[in-house]
Amino acid sequence: MAEAIIDKLRGNIGAENVLEVKYPMARRIFVLVKPETFKLAVSYLVNELNFKHLTTISGVDLGEEFEVIYHLNDDTNELSLKVRTPKSSPRVPTITDIVPGAALYEREIHDMFGIVPEGHPKLTKVMLPDDWPEGVYPLRKEWTIEKIRAKLDGKEEKKKDG
Amino acid sequence: MGEYESESVFEVPIGPQHPALKEPAMFMFKVDGEYVVDVDANVNYNHRGMEKAAESRTYIQNLYLMERVCGICSFTHQLCFSQGVEQLLEVEAPPRAQYIRVIIGELERIHSHLLWLGVAAHEIGFDTLFYYVWRDREIVLDLLETISGNRQNYAMSTIGGVRRDITDEQTHKAFKSLKILEERTKFYQNMIPRERTILKRGVGVGVLKPADAIALCAAGPTLRMTGVKSDVRFNDPYQAYGEIPWNVVTYDTGDVVGQVMVRVGEVLEAVNISRYALQHLPTGPIRRKVPRSVPSNETVSKTEAPRGENIHYGRSNGTDKPDRWKVRAPTLANIPAVSKMLTGGYIADIPIVLAGIDPCFSCTARVAFVDVEKNKRWFWSQEELRRYGIKWYGG
Amino acid sequence: MNLVKWARLKSPWLIHFNTGACNSCDIEILAALTPRYDLERFGAIIKGSPRHADVLIVSGAVTRQTRDRLRRIYEQMPDPKFVLAIGTCASSGNVFRKCYNVLEGVDKVIPVDMYVPGCPPKPEAIIHGVAQLLAKLEKGQVECCG
Repeated sequence: MAEAIIDKLRGNIGAENVLEVKYPMARRIFVLVKPETFKLAVSYLVNELNFKHLTTISGVDLGEEFEVIYHLNDDTNELSLKVRTPKSSPRVPTITDIVPGAALYEREIHDMFGIVPEGHPKLTKVMLPDDWPEGVYPLRKEWTIEKIRAKLDGKEEKKKDG
Repeated sequence: MGEYESESVFEVPIGPQHPALKEPAMFMFKVDGEYVVDVDANVNYNHRGMEKAAESRTYIQNLYLMERVCGICSFTHQLCFSQGVEQLLEVEAPPRAQYIRVIIGELERIHSHLLWLGVAAHEIGFDTLFYYVWRDREIVLDLLETISGNRQNYAMSTIGGVRRDITDEQTHKAFKSLKILEERTKFYQNMIPRERTILKRGVGVGVLKPADAIALCAAGPTLRMTGVKSDVRFNDPYQAYGEIPWNVVTYDTGDVVGQVMVRVGEVLEAVNISRYALQHLPTGPIRRKVPRSVPSNETVSKTEAPRGENIHYGRSNGTDKPDRWKVRAPTLANIPAVSKMLTGGYIADIPIVLAGIDPCFSCTARVAFVDVEKNKRWFWSQEELRRYGIKWYGG
Repeated sequence: MNLVKWARLKSPWLIHFNTGACNSCDIEILAALTPRYDLERFGAIIKGSPRHADVLIVSGAVTRQTRDRLRRIYEQMPDPKFVLAIGTCASSGNVFRKCYNVLEGVDKVIPVDMYVPGCPPKPEAIIHGVAQLLAKLEKGQVECCG
């Protein structure tokens, strides 16, 4: 049944755009698609294949690029749809026009990784305080806890003096 | 709605904050007279940086970090994590452990829902009900303390199973406690739909339509009270849930009364599930040995927390520490829905509608208001908001 | 400390502040007010405003966002005032040590008079902490801070 879902997806966005597929256990599918066809894939899965529930969006720092994972659910299967974007210019198209409930999760990956959800209706901070220093993305591997703390403490020293 | 620029801002001196201070507020409400016209949510007050912390802790250390994502549904997070690591290792906990996990999970659901019922009663000024329910809740806390050693943060689940067994004596005590809980909860189930205070503050308040609930990706009782039959234990059974007969509780009013009735119903279901699991507890070990390091893999682990669907996404890299551990607790999933429920409603309804989603918020969170017509801006504590609601409804 | 202020302390008015806790401690504090434990028999009442409070009870490991507000609530309390750190997070940071957004304990921000460890401390422990503080005050063993 899981294979049938992926076959349909291949049929819709083109088999060459479906890069990696895994079925690690019952009711779990992982699929990586090419960035150009990502939004088509979301639209097809949500509108045609009933994956109406977006459980959450996860970001992973792979080093040179990010992997953004959209966990979609059709009331049985949890399909994790992955797309990659380079760290030098990380962006994904917003999917809030297809799934309104994506709004907070897109703000979250923006706060934590600096991935820009292009077209998001209101991109303000959701997890981090408003006075968080620019450019500090806590879940990027290069921002270690010590580095983040040093940056925050440095900033606070300035605040005390100023 | 457009952008509102308040050229002149009046600070209404309510509460102990400095007037010129810009402080983080959990919600910002744009209001017009008594009505809420827009809601903006910000959940940063409680951000501790746990996902980052998880990457520098071993899987065993993370068991205790994950428990403390939320103290009220701590077991479900620890279970979701343990289950996730077991999935990465491609192993399963032994049958007895799976049943024990179900029992602890359901007892936690009972404690959480009764806690909520008391708090919701307090929000509408019905303090008698608050004290009654929290008295009953002590029964399940005593039981959890007998089994696990603690009233909260049970530390029962570990990677490969559970850390403590349930003895015959504890089982015997459990049956007695469950019977009392069942009687008391049935009393509430009968009383609540007739109780005027609750009906006045609950019927038609904070309404959510099923189509909106689905589009906004709501989860848990907030989703089920609109009539949608969706529950991780049903759609994606985990641990021993696939072997235990039980019913998903839904309601169809989509309002605050619906929030109450679903949770009260779930307490009764939890009693049934616990009882069945105790009666059918398999023999055998409670834990299997697992290696310290986890080969490279990724997984999605889901459980049904009292507040709704819980998801952990985990990635391992061959070491004894996770490469990435993403946690989405259920309250976040219900924020868009609650914003929808509040828009168009009265300011006086805010406390009970917010409480309705059973939010895992800091108790001292504050909310900000902007009156778009009069260009006023002010902060209220949740306590001030609660009192306003009670007074407004003539309490 | 004179007799008048002293008399006030026999009936301590508490204010509670959560600095980013997981809520376990908060619900045990709330449970301490329920009839089974009955904190109120000590005359202790939870007040909403720091201007009327004698004792500040703090839960949570103190996130950066809550630090300024914690300090401000403390400053707004009139003397004599006392601080109880409830829970291991408030005492030392607990499992949240080395988290980037956590300050690891209330005493990093304001002076603490009594620590009640536990994760969470049982309501009995919380009441014991309040009672111990009052006893120490009686014996003059606690410096009036602020």
